[in-house]
Amino acid sequence: MSNANVRPAVLIVDDEEMVVTSLRALLSLETDYEIHGFTDPEEAVKFLETHLVDVAVADYVMPKLNGIQFLGKSKQLQPEATRVLLTGYADKQSAIRAINELSLFHYLEKPWENAALLLVIQNAIERAQLIRQLRDKIAELDAAHSDLKGVQTRLLRAFM
Amino acid sequence: MLADAEHTDPPQELVRLRSELEAATRQLVESYKMASLGRLVTGIAHEISTPVGSILSNNAVLLRSLDTLRTLLAESSGDSPPHLAKAREIVNTLRSLAAVDRLACERIASLVPGLKTFARTEETELRRADLNQILRNTLALAQAQFRSRISVETDLGALPEAECYPQSLHQVFLNLLTNAGEAIEGQGKVTVRTRLEGDHVHVSIADTGSGIKPEHRSRIFSPGFTTKPVGLGAGLGLSICAQIVVDRHGGAIDFETESGVGTTFHIRIPVAHPRSWNV
Repeated sequence: MSNANVRPAVLIVDDEEMVVTSLRALLSLETDYEIHGFTDPEEAVKFLETHLVDVAVADYVMPKLNGIQFLGKSKQLQPEATRVLLTGYADKQSAIRAINELSLFHYLEKPWENAALLLVIQNAIERAQLIRQLRDKIAELDAAHSDLKGVQTRLLRAFM
Repeated sequence: MLADAEHTDPPQELVRLRSELEAATRQLVESYKMASLGRLVTGIAHEISTPVGSILSNNAVLLRSLDTLRTLLAESSGDSPPHLAKAREIVNTLRSLAAVDRLACERIASLVPGLKTFARTEETELRRADLNQILRNTLALAQAQFRSRISVETDLGALPEAECYPQSLHQVFLNLLTNAGEAIEGQGKVTVRTRLEGDHVHVSIADTGSGIKPEHRSRIFSPGFTTKPVGLGAGLGLSICAQIVVDRHGGAIDFETESGVGTTFHIRIPVAHPRSWNV
């Protein structure tokens, strides 16, 4: 499932269409990321059930699922994907409290600075890809380990 | 001599007391207005910062894109399809951003008429106004406060302009909408409906909140009665609403409520102000 030669995928969820459009425009002009924008967090969850992403960026105040709840679901569905919360001024305190529970990678405040946002997303993608690579390496190690076990068992049998 | 004093003094004393009372009432209404503005500020700040955030971001994207376009133009030799394709893509994206900016500005602008009524002006002149428009301005402010927690349904019937004090009515509607929002815990709905009924405009504001407790029902229009924490203007809201509707407009205000189902306030404002009947 390594994403090494695929374009990085970024999921954006904000109930404000204008925010999704602005972020999509920014990312599509400045990066080569594949961008998936949603205004309905439940639809975004459905998308995550079938599509791999590197980063999930979510607004905090949304109907049905708030940003914390949404990112909680995204953590269950795709633990390797990095989670970023986008918060308005008034939600900052509650957002910060939730950061520890969710092991959020970062939170961004609205109004955001484009350069800072690009950097956060870029780092978030790197983190997700490193974690995937790490998982692959661990799997390889596990495979190598069980191979060795097999060799060891055969060796033991040969000498006993 | 005593008898003379009794004949001349009481009217003067009454006039003085009356003007003091009027001044005190004006101050009270003014401080109540400011208190209700205070309740709205957080919501309004958020309502402004979201579109401003988009506009700022879009502006930065626009400037960067113009640079890119200029470079593409400088490099293009007349027939360089990759450049053209890229330039077209940028232009399309910028068009979508211009549309967003327009929406964002409209969102901010929609708050202004509602906020204007908080200006420190005394409304002494009756005006003809569209109550639906007053409600729409009020809803823009109230929705900033409700955000996504509470959905708003409007059913605004065709209305003639009514003779009224528009800013005072705005304060009444805002107060009732704020109360409606506060009566709802978690998700809920507020429904605003207007109808012309004979020579009255009937405005109803319904919430799906907790309802007014039976023991409170007879007292909610009394000055000083409140179920909210003590603060500036607390307990004046509905008594001032009743004063504005009944005393200033010759209208009526009442409510229906059911515990756990919600509350509906009915406001009736005569299309022709009673004072103007005599003129």
